[in-house]
Amino acid sequence: MRVEIKEALSGIRVCDFSWVGAGPIATNVLGQCGADVIKIESAKRPDLLRKGDPFKDGISDGLERSGYFANRNPNKMSIALNMSEPKAIEVATRLIRESDIVINNFRVGQMEKWGLGWDEVRRLNPRAIYVTMSLQGVTGPHRSYMGFGVNLNSLCGLTAQAAKEGEKPFGTGTNYTDHVMVPSHTIFAIMAALLHRELSGEGQTISVSQLESAIAMKPLDAMVWASNREILGPLGCCDRELAPHGVYESTEPGRWIALAVRDDVEWERLKRVMGEPEWALNRAYDSAAGRRANQRNLDAEIERWTVTHRVEELVVKLQGAGLCAAPVKDAREAVEDEHLNARGFHVYLDHPVVGKTLYNRAPIVFSETPLRMEKSAPLLGQDTEEILTGLLGYSEDELAKLRAEKVLI
Amino acid sequence: MTQNYLGLKIVEFTGELGPYTTKLFADLGADVIQLEPIGGNPLRRVGPFYRNEESMESSLQHLYYNAGKRSLVLDLEQSEGRALLKRLCTEADLMVESFAPGYLESLGLSYGELSGLNPQLVQASVTPYGQFGPLSGKEGSDITCAAIGGFLHLAGVGDDKPVRTPDNQAYRMAEAYAAVGSAIALYHARRTGQGQLVDVAAVEAVGMALENSAQYWDLEKIIRRGRGKEAGSCTVHPCKDGYIVIVAILGKNKSMWEPFLNWMQGEQVEEADLFEDERWIDPAYRVSSEAYENFCRVFERYTREHNKEYLYEIGQHYKVSVTPVSNGKDLLENPQLKYRNYWQERDNAVLGGKVVYPGAPYEFGEMKWEVGGNAPCYGEHTREVLVQLGYSDAQIEELNKAGVVYAS
Repeated sequence: MRVEIKEALSGIRVCDFSWVGAGPIATNVLGQCGADVIKIESAKRPDLLRKGDPFKDGISDGLERSGYFANRNPNKMSIALNMSEPKAIEVATRLIRESDIVINNFRVGQMEKWGLGWDEVRRLNPRAIYVTMSLQGVTGPHRSYMGFGVNLNSLCGLTAQAAKEGEKPFGTGTNYTDHVMVPSHTIFAIMAALLHRELSGEGQTISVSQLESAIAMKPLDAMVWASNREILGPLGCCDRELAPHGVYESTEPGRWIALAVRDDVEWERLKRVMGEPEWALNRAYDSAAGRRANQRNLDAEIERWTVTHRVEELVVKLQGAGLCAAPVKDAREAVEDEHLNARGFHVYLDHPVVGKTLYNRAPIVFSETPLRMEKSAPLLGQDTEEILTGLLGYSEDELAKLRAEKVLI
Repeated sequence: MTQNYLGLKIVEFTGELGPYTTKLFADLGADVIQLEPIGGNPLRRVGPFYRNEESMESSLQHLYYNAGKRSLVLDLEQSEGRALLKRLCTEADLMVESFAPGYLESLGLSYGELSGLNPQLVQASVTPYGQFGPLSGKEGSDITCAAIGGFLHLAGVGDDKPVRTPDNQAYRMAEAYAAVGSAIALYHARRTGQGQLVDVAAVEAVGMALENSAQYWDLEKIIRRGRGKEAGSCTVHPCKDGYIVIVAILGKNKSMWEPFLNWMQGEQVEEADLFEDERWIDPAYRVSSEAYENFCRVFERYTREHNKEYLYEIGQHYKVSVTPVSNGKDLLENPQLKYRNYWQERDNAVLGGKVVYPGAPYEFGEMKWEVGGNAPCYGEHTREVLVQLGYSDAQIEELNKAGVVYAS
């Protein structure tokens, strides 16, 4: 039998206690795939990112102007629920009964304090998938150590290599682990649990360690030490296998061309594009090993050529010759990029306070169940009434009472 | 025998881009058949190699990303090879591939063709630039995807050239999202009987790593680059045996700064009282070069006297977000990861030693994350898979002789 479902995750409901980083990014993707994501916040304890820059026109007043918050939370509904009030627990309990996924990234013990740990949730809803996220796992000597994304970058080994020879290491310049490594693993785990539930009929727990999921996406430094007793040092913009490989200056300050030459055939092409300069005929450069061994000289020579051209000229010449080359784009150029826009990657959504602002969809194009990018990030508590009187079966009187008792703020 | 928790059969034909997608499924017991061209998966030729001995079986990336999969070698340029791929896709739930867009179509192996044989089939295509769009037909690599998508630019300050993140992160991001997209499409296929094509482009995947920089442009018309020069807020500092990273404060959050001040005074760091000044709570001061230089002078005079492990432990004792800049050795010796038995160690008879690699990214209540076996040798399972499909020994020998498959 064929059932018509337009969105891949329609009918799936997410009770979302997560905030700030990796959790909201994970539920954002589920929401774009059609899940109903209900974000639980309170004016007493708003998602910290509502105060995270940038803000529309640089004005940080209120809780509704942050672009940082917005881009992680489109298509979600928001309930204002003050969890420090005992009656709020009953509201959360009703919502959990109606949910497929319950996710939080609180410190260990917070959900239990509310009586919403896995043991209780499992009794309420044995089909629930219960997701917790921790920095380094819930056992072990460092289980309560503190850190932000940049700390995780350094701890997991990314920063040591994202560095230039002889300088302080730099890293990604962002909280990279929070943005991709942790949320993508979290979404995959949720989907695996949903697939498993189709077979078993039962929910289960998922516990994500940010450190451990990050390391799984960058195995080499530890493997190389274990097998070869070597430390992988600063990478610069090089590649450990390919040469030439890097970013090269142009006539425009701060604008570079990225180039990767993957084999001898591509090296021949590059020589032709550069006009077969004398230096490039050096036999040392004929093999990949030779080019790697002489990387510094090779890069300097190539840069003497690139620096006499504009980035756009270089792109046309190099891409035209079938080489891997591209401009190093800043955020504006990426937002304006013709290819990304032809693929509909960037989307502007209208918001009652800040008007039309920029979002990006998840990096997945489905042929049959297109992602939805319909609603801007929610105002805090905008859906409280609808969800309580609709889904959760509260009467108007009960709702008014909960409001009066400051439960729904 | 590991349990196939999701009950999935997967066929994969990838190379340097793609293998992590199916690894995520393989580690939950999925049956993953990795197809390789005659001559082998190109990842086999990418270093570094186990014990620095280059061979078809010793690429560390191959050993990690392809662990727990089976290898079947076939030639798609021959019609019997194409028939075999169709046969495999008829029985599979998911096919993951990373060929240049258009290549499979040119062989008569488009998704339309394959889904005609198996309407529930999900196909995930993971490529640098995706199946459509002006760059779709261009050559791309990890660095060009990171460059176009705006990710690379963030890894620097001012007019400095950026630095690259290791382990081909543009590819890794695409693979992770291809796994996500595949799992979502598989869920849909289970509920509806309808498969679909999932197109994942690395150049888009890096867009997930831009933090707030696109919104900075949209809302405030500011082009931001990396953090790293605001005193005590996401800064790197040298110590006796390497470097540490510290987030002693973010924004105007004074409650973060106090533990840092306690740490400095508790350790009787020379000039520690300098950090009592209220100005440190103001980000506008911290971004000044005076603040950065003062911070580095006082803090680094202390950090240079100690190793990263000591600074990590004592800083965390004072509730400060400080972490070591770990290298591979540090990671293997990390007490937390040791305590949690994170590192996997597996005997590999072909290599004559143990291979160590990362462990589970997550823990489930009802499923066990487990690597089902070593990465396969070239063509190790060709015969086994063909027998399972019902090919006779004579047929297999014929295909082997004709070079349609390679069976070891």
